[in-house]
Amino acid sequence: MTPSSSYPQAAEVSGASAGAPVHPVGDAAVNPAHPSDIPALSAEPLDVVGLLSRAHHPGAGAVVLFSGEVRDSNKGQAVLGLEYEAYGPLAEKLIGEILAEARGKWQLHIAVAQHRVGRVAVGDSAVVVITASAHRSEAYAANRYIIDRIKHEAPIWKCEHYADGTKEWGNNCNCHTVTGDIHKHIYETDPKHQP
Amino acid sequence: MKIHVYAGLKDYFQAEFELREEIANTDELRAVLVGINGNAGPLLSTCRFAVEEGFIDKNFKLNAHDTVVIIPPSSGG
Repeated sequence: MTPSSSYPQAAEVSGASAGAPVHPVGDAAVNPAHPSDIPALSAEPLDVVGLLSRAHHPGAGAVVLFSGEVRDSNKGQAVLGLEYEAYGPLAEKLIGEILAEARGKWQLHIAVAQHRVGRVAVGDSAVVVITASAHRSEAYAANRYIIDRIKHEAPIWKCEHYADGTKEWGNNCNCHTVTGDIHKHIYETDPKHQP
Repeated sequence: MKIHVYAGLKDYFQAEFELREEIANTDELRAVLVGINGNAGPLLSTCRFAVEEGFIDKNFKLNAHDTVVIIPPSSGG
């Protein structure tokens, strides 16, 4: 089986933005599909299993999947669900740039990220990041880097809907209180930030 | 100048509106918006701005035909 034939056709992948094609991702030298063809935002439930089942590459000995899921509580309050909003064009562009940077930095064979918009129920996935590389250290590091940057930089916001009927836009990035610059962030993956 | 706001800023402004004032940069824009709704000041001070799908800084020269997107701190994930 050739590397390119190990990937499904775009239409086979479900769970992405309504009506938008999802293309397989992989090393551009192996697979002609470009990672920016993956819709970074989805108004439909994320097909976590479907995305993972297709995230295989003959050169990858490690595949890491992160799924950020909706908790049933926040700051001591019962949560019914979240609602995500995004400035779509810039979020798509930024996530594409983050994936491209990670692919180069860690020599990834696969880098995928999809984030939900709209209502997301408790227990459902709000964001998925999949990375695949020759060895696990790169896949782990890249995965953490990607989700860290998405959380800090991508113009995506969550509104918590609480059981008492209230709602709150929250958990905003507040790095500027330390860096003094709204464009500068403190990442968990920064070596200086490690415990 | 067209203004688009998101997330918590919609508690203070309509999601999309237009300003007739001459506004040269993001500092001036922020001041105009605080003049419209002072309660938005603290949040506005933490917001990024974008024009044509790219972030801009305070040195970016705005013009009357721009659509400026005001971006509160991210809270995705």
